[in-house]
Amino acid sequence: MKSAKFDHQRTTSLADALAALGNADGEARIMGGGQSLGPMMNLRLAQPDLLIDISRVAGLDGIDMTGSSLLIGARVTHARIEDGEVPGVTGAYLQAVASGISYRSVRNRGTIGGSVAHADPSADWPSALLALGGEVTISGQGGERRMPLDGFQIGPFATGLGYDEILTGFDLPVLSDGAKWGYYKVNRKPGEFADAIGAVVMGPEPRAVCGATESAPFRVTAIEEKLAGGATELSVADARDMIAAHDPGFDDYDLQIHAVALSRAVGRAFA
Amino acid sequence: MTELTLKINGEDVSANVEPRLSLADFIRDHRRLTGTHLGCEHGVCGACTVLMNGEPVRSCITFAVVADGTEITTIEGFDEDDPMAQLRQAFHENHALQCGYCTPGMLVAARDIVTRLPDADEDRVRLELAGNLCRCTGYVGIVNAILSVLEQRRG
Amino acid sequence: MADGGATDGKGIGARVLRKEDARHLAGRGKFTGDFRRPGQKELAFVRSPVAHGRIKSVTKPAGFEHCVFTTDDMPGMLPMRAPSKMPGYKASDYPALAIGKVRFVGEPIAVCVADTRAEAEDLAQATQVEFEELAPVVDMLAAKAPDAPRIHEDWDSNLVMETFADDDFGKIADRATVVIKREYRMARHAMNPMEGRAVFAEWDDRTDQLMMWTSTQVPHLIRTGLAEFLGLEQKQVRVIAPDVGGGFGCKALLQPEELVAGWLTRHLEVPVRWIEDRREHLVTGANCREHHYFITIHATPEGRMLGLDCDVTVDAGAYSVYPFTNGLEGAMAHGNLPGPYDLEVYRCRTQTMTTNKPPLMPYRGVARPGVCYAMEMTIDALAREIGVESHEIRKMNMVKESAMPFMSIAKKHFDSGNYAKSVEMATDMIGFDDIRREQQTPPADGRLIGVGMGSYVEQTAHGTSVFASWGVAMVPGYEQATVRLTPDGGLELRIGVQSHGQGMETSMAQMANEVLGIDPAAVTVTHGDTGLTPYSTGTYASRSMVMAGGATARACRVLAERMEIIAAHLLQCERAEVSVRGGKVVSGKGEVSFAEIGRVWYLNPDELPDDVDQGGVEVTMGYRPEPDSGAFTYASHACKVAVDVDTGKVKVLDYVIVEDCGTIVNPMIVEGQTYGGATQGIGTALFEESAYDADGNPLASTFADYMMPGTTDAPHYRIDHMESPSPFTEYGIKGMGEGGTIPTPAAIGNAINDALKAIGAEVNETPFTPRRVRAAIIAAQKNQQGDAA
Repeated sequence: MKSAKFDHQRTTSLADALAALGNADGEARIMGGGQSLGPMMNLRLAQPDLLIDISRVAGLDGIDMTGSSLLIGARVTHARIEDGEVPGVTGAYLQAVASGISYRSVRNRGTIGGSVAHADPSADWPSALLALGGEVTISGQGGERRMPLDGFQIGPFATGLGYDEILTGFDLPVLSDGAKWGYYKVNRKPGEFADAIGAVVMGPEPRAVCGATESAPFRVTAIEEKLAGGATELSVADARDMIAAHDPGFDDYDLQIHAVALSRAVGRAFA
Repeated sequence: MTELTLKINGEDVSANVEPRLSLADFIRDHRRLTGTHLGCEHGVCGACTVLMNGEPVRSCITFAVVADGTEITTIEGFDEDDPMAQLRQAFHENHALQCGYCTPGMLVAARDIVTRLPDADEDRVRLELAGNLCRCTGYVGIVNAILSVLEQRRG
Repeated sequence: MADGGATDGKGIGARVLRKEDARHLAGRGKFTGDFRRPGQKELAFVRSPVAHGRIKSVTKPAGFEHCVFTTDDMPGMLPMRAPSKMPGYKASDYPALAIGKVRFVGEPIAVCVADTRAEAEDLAQATQVEFEELAPVVDMLAAKAPDAPRIHEDWDSNLVMETFADDDFGKIADRATVVIKREYRMARHAMNPMEGRAVFAEWDDRTDQLMMWTSTQVPHLIRTGLAEFLGLEQKQVRVIAPDVGGGFGCKALLQPEELVAGWLTRHLEVPVRWIEDRREHLVTGANCREHHYFITIHATPEGRMLGLDCDVTVDAGAYSVYPFTNGLEGAMAHGNLPGPYDLEVYRCRTQTMTTNKPPLMPYRGVARPGVCYAMEMTIDALAREIGVESHEIRKMNMVKESAMPFMSIAKKHFDSGNYAKSVEMATDMIGFDDIRREQQTPPADGRLIGVGMGSYVEQTAHGTSVFASWGVAMVPGYEQATVRLTPDGGLELRIGVQSHGQGMETSMAQMANEVLGIDPAAVTVTHGDTGLTPYSTGTYASRSMVMAGGATARACRVLAERMEIIAAHLLQCERAEVSVRGGKVVSGKGEVSFAEIGRVWYLNPDELPDDVDQGGVEVTMGYRPEPDSGAFTYASHACKVAVDVDTGKVKVLDYVIVEDCGTIVNPMIVEGQTYGGATQGIGTALFEESAYDADGNPLASTFADYMMPGTTDAPHYRIDHMESPSPFTEYGIKGMGEGGTIPTPAAIGNAINDALKAIGAEVNETPFTPRRVRAAIIAAQKNQQGDAA
């Protein structure tokens, strides 16, 4: 179980990394912590020609809160978030999510940007951040751009990121003191990828996300409306109907556990 | 081939390696430090856990070239380390190993727990150790050993 | 006669800490994958991506044709053949590399040789194989259809073997008015020692020997098999098992990769190494446990079980494995299904079917986790039906201590024990009555609590007569041990079994201590090397402590007698006045250290008496219990679970074990083996499954898809021991390495069904995944709605 051959390019600046990406022949992949790509390459499920290593790129590992904006660099590891480096209520929410990702030795290397760019439907960050809202910051040959987290992931392992672009970080909302949130993951064992994710964040507008689907996580409109209407609990039966309205292609069991995840996420938010 | 310079167990090491060489294979086959074991090579079982700059990482899914400039500590590199000495004794006394294959990774992960989470209770120890598989012991001795070291360190 | 020489509390019964630990804790264990020689080559296999097909062509990568070998390139390498004398058994040749046809996904087709494993995998990836795909047989029940595709064309069906025993149920018809019928399935899974299989081979020109270091439980059998299928003389093969990272059965058989490595190193004249990776293990090692049951218990309304009627189907996979065959599971299912119970009539048919899956191998517990699960789950179904607690039914029906020794209805010769007592103790330990009270107030979180139990009796260390009755190619005989005093008074102990986690370097030294009183630290246990140890069929079937331990005791006794002769002379006293105690030979006139005896024998033989035994201070003795029908360990496990009704997820909250393995040599090791076994049982019960799609493609080829029990899944076990010595073995020891795995699926399944009884739901297929538990709940709800309507 050894990776196929590839070329490796170390980069120390974003400009270097973008240039390497632009000049690449064949398939180039950006690698930060490599905790998702590493296994896939060992299994030869991914066989890139070029690996662009951004693990030393300066400036992508910041956590900065200014006013209503929280900037988190793509290279911030799950472990740093778990250890409470992100301040405030947003930080508490992200901390709870981060501490449930895989295992500590993976969290020490794995990054939030890598996870969102990799866009594994079962991963935590795509769902958790969608529930928070905010924007993805992106660099390309033509400069920087932003995309809302809404719509950033478009399918399994597919995002709005261009082939020659690099995800550089996130601009996330700063939740007010007392803002409620709940996150619930159904999985077989701690650290395993999720079978279902429910994420609820009561920001200015309530956001409720159904995650760990066959495709991209999605917001469940009816649940958000219910929460906006002042509801503080959600039955599994209601959650089933509300999720089913989005036609997610679940069989009965998948619908059930996604409904449970959202019901319990709401329960945790208002516990 | 890519040039690589790092420190392993305090020793400066330079080498030219294929980019696809994992840190684990570099440690085992090139440096002949065979205490680091490969159990799954996709980051789940924890047998290959080593310290990189003092933090536990999976050496099987970390390419050696990525470790350039880092300090790596393998199971062979803890001879002067107090927490590891305590853990080794506790693993011995609590029958925390049978075949011994998962043991080096377990010890490195356990060292992280006893140093990072001094107040951990049994549930927390079990949660933190969920990424290290042992097929022999049922984890009884391992968990007991770690709890006993936590207890000792709390004095 | 010397015995009871132990004076320092390190003999039988002592919690002696393990001698093996130091090297592993330091990271200085030596596993097969750790070997490296200048010029060595690494191997990777081209494996079949189809479950059933004819190979039309193999195209090797251009320029590297000489690095890729198919069976046509390897003259003299014969298919493995494991015959059986079981009536009607159909043996199947298992080629190390496919010959013309493939019969399971993962079957080796070609081997690639390169400087690194990565390069060998490059070659494997670049090798093209064209197939004519054939319809696969994926399910063992479907395999029985008359028009099912034939996996072995020359067979008239897919039946490997059938056993059948009928009985007259008319005898009990008027009393056994309660009839409980159930259907159960146990999923195929993989054994998953943390070290996969691994081979390092080189040819030694000096000794003209194939030297093979391999991760095996049975080095002597591997040697015999390698010689047979590579066309070598036995003396031309030496097999060494260095540190072995767990076995559990899959390393108790000759493997295709061992044959291939042996052939290659001989013909390429370079050392070769193959290390199984986890994906290979999960795909090609998906080889155990897969059974199906239609089972019926006939009982009185009070719960006295009178009759048992069962149709067992075993999914044996594609080939018969050397040497144990793929018929062992069926034979053992037949003999073990009635468990510890005293029944009047027993009818059982076992059918072992061949399918397009990896060859079935004996996994820790062999067949008994399946039969115990089917039997014990049905007992609890009976209990629910008649409204009697199942522990009462167990106690009522178990063979009584006063009846021992007892010939069971399945012709198992139970030796000793109080089976019902284990049930009673486990019931108390789990707090059965408290749980029943707790169940009356449903918890606020909506989870349902259940309590369940599984009891078993396990034949261990079964000997010549038992294996001969199974007709397998290899039958164990007298187990031997060699002891040798060193010139400085230490002891070398050589055993043909192999220790891979069981701690035999410690427990066998304790056995020597028991007889000689020598400090276990002064004993070196050598095992796992055909060049250094007596021939042995190896470590499996919970036999090593009874067999090799018994041989060790006997060899030590003879050594003691010989040392006494020498010591009596040195002390100038009568032979009767001296005895071995505490690692010395003592008499009223003084004492002689073992070091002194070693010195005299080896270095100053001029001081020896005339009547010295010329065999010196090295003794080999053989041992076999009489009768050799096995020592019967038994246990009852009880557990408390919580079932999350909304998700179907099951959590084991508490787990207790009461076990009796006769005289305990090292309680610490016994407990460690039991906890580890039970945790594998939790894997079987809740997590582990090698599922296949309809085309025979494995669906679990990584640990992302194949769930292993981890720290949060294993409960905080509580254990208690009983000690009923076997009357048939040295010191009354019984084997116990496997037992922990046996009742766990039953105990957990029963606890789940207990939790779900109000809903009327029952699970009947392992693993009891959240999806299956939910399906059972929904089915029960639909039933009730149907009843209401």
